[in-house]
Amino acid sequence: MKFAYYPGCSARSTCAELNVATHRVAAKLGLELTPLESATCTGARELRAIDPVKFYALNVRILALAEREGLPLMTICNTCTLNLLDAHAAVCDDADLLREVNGQLRDEGLEYRRTTRISHFLWVLYEDIGEEKLRDLVVKPLTGLTVAAFYGCHITRPPGRYGFVDSRNNVALERLATLLGCEPIDYSGRTECCGFHTAAHDERIAIKLTGQHILSAKENGAKAMVTPCPLCHTVLDSFQKEIEKDLGQKLDVPVLHLPQLVGLALGLSANELNIEKHMVNFGVDI
Amino acid sequence: MPAPVAIDARRLGQAEHADGLRARNARIAIGAPVIVRIRRSDDGRLQEFRTPYQKAMRVLDALNAIALKDAPDLAFRWFCGSKMCGTCAVRMNGREVLACWEAVEPEMTVEPLRNLPVIRDLVVDRTPYERKVASFEPWLTRPEPYPGFPEPLSHKAIKNASKAIDCISCMSCYSACPVIRLGSLTDFAGPAPLVQLGQTALDPRQDQQQVARALSHSGIFNCVSCYKCEEVCPAHIPIVSGVIEPLKAKAVQLVPQMARHPLAFRAVVARRGRIDPGELILRVQGLRVLAVIPRLVRLLLRGKINPLRTILGSKTPAAGAADRILNKAGHP
Repeated sequence: MKFAYYPGCSARSTCAELNVATHRVAAKLGLELTPLESATCTGARELRAIDPVKFYALNVRILALAEREGLPLMTICNTCTLNLLDAHAAVCDDADLLREVNGQLRDEGLEYRRTTRISHFLWVLYEDIGEEKLRDLVVKPLTGLTVAAFYGCHITRPPGRYGFVDSRNNVALERLATLLGCEPIDYSGRTECCGFHTAAHDERIAIKLTGQHILSAKENGAKAMVTPCPLCHTVLDSFQKEIEKDLGQKLDVPVLHLPQLVGLALGLSANELNIEKHMVNFGVDI
Repeated sequence: MPAPVAIDARRLGQAEHADGLRARNARIAIGAPVIVRIRRSDDGRLQEFRTPYQKAMRVLDALNAIALKDAPDLAFRWFCGSKMCGTCAVRMNGREVLACWEAVEPEMTVEPLRNLPVIRDLVVDRTPYERKVASFEPWLTRPEPYPGFPEPLSHKAIKNASKAIDCISCMSCYSACPVIRLGSLTDFAGPAPLVQLGQTALDPRQDQQQVARALSHSGIFNCVSCYKCEEVCPAHIPIVSGVIEPLKAKAVQLVPQMARHPLAFRAVVARRGRIDPGELILRVQGLRVLAVIPRLVRLLLRGKINPLRTILGSKTPAAGAADRILNKAGHP
């Protein structure tokens, strides 16, 4: 099963362990990942706001690179996923925009024909691997691991993109965690915001928001958290010391990237999944 | 391309949680008791009521039935009963809804909106919102004399303002906003006031000086883009993508000193092709970066940042493409 692979900027820098873990897990799952070497940043929240046409051009270029390979596109970051989905929808909706954007890609010999299927790793597990096969591949069920699923915003909102009336009804992560042998817990932060997108200029928002989420996860018995988004992971894990200081209490809640949780159940070691790169040690016996 | 299995992973949970009107209505039979727990302001507790379910029963119907029969002192606002006046918004089971438009749940907790002072029971004081909106000078001022009818105005040029005009000022988004919830920590105006601002600021006829004055005290770059506002908007306004983002674009043009973060982001991507977090933080925070040195040391020890790459300004294999797209035709 082949995919064009778009890790995004975070998985190439502050969350490089996510990229490593994804490759290891993909090999176990039989996913062949084709990197798009010249793929740019998707523009996060910043470019899409201040320069929409160029934001579309960057994203459509990534979609066109995957299309040229004849492959669906797999992502591992919520915000990149939404940007790519939004760009695809925008050019499907607006022929003038598609013409304008394709005009910017012509120098490279690229032209987007609107055929690329965009899928986050979480969705690939359900839609391409399938629960039955995944269950067969689990060699080390994560029995006893109480895990708090942290969705992040851009994989479940805006409502127009995903169709939920109430994003709190999303259960994809909990259902997956159960399949892997974990015990998912319920808590108030599941589909709340980590505040990452303002953290570069004012990290107090992220610290205050995420503090409540980690605290709720801990109070409801989570031994670990899991997230499908490296941006959420950065706040949950890398900011946890500052969050503890703000709350005036120790949290010590390890946070796994989704592929790491899957990898553990598929028999990969914590070391192979680069779990030791996290700020909060994953001191959980599996 | 591989054939996907027959499951839509993006919507897992919708069926189980009866996410949607038809599924919700199917969960309760005519005459069955609807259990309603209402947050009363006298003692702050939830008071429980039961009222029989009627066909197509709305939250407002339940509140009216309770006020008529069990709690004549229950305070709640409504006027039009048809999704027009925006006065009846409450929180039902933790989510902002219009009482006049939302179907009842078999068991529901009804509370006043958050982020606004409670006057009594489900009635909130809208003054903080109204003051903020007034401070934005939300009226159209033409810098040029009126050219006469018809004004040269295309659908495309008025598109975003037109969406903002659908706002019924119900305050659902204001209650759902996690940044507003943080109180005075930031100067973020909040989604509802920004939508009101968008009605005139995104109108191409508007005086740009007036827009600049409003944006300069809007705190708009403190929006975390969580889409909580869009999720609860009964008028289905694309608040983030159709109002806040176009207003941010205006801020870049008119008040660029507010937009240090997006402009730095753009510059880093334009030069390197991808984000270098070190350079982004340095450009945005300047000397303030000294305050986060302990974290930077921790990140360095775990190999999560590469100061050498930041200092040397290393380009990625994506730099050429980013340069062509972002630098070719100038930027705002």
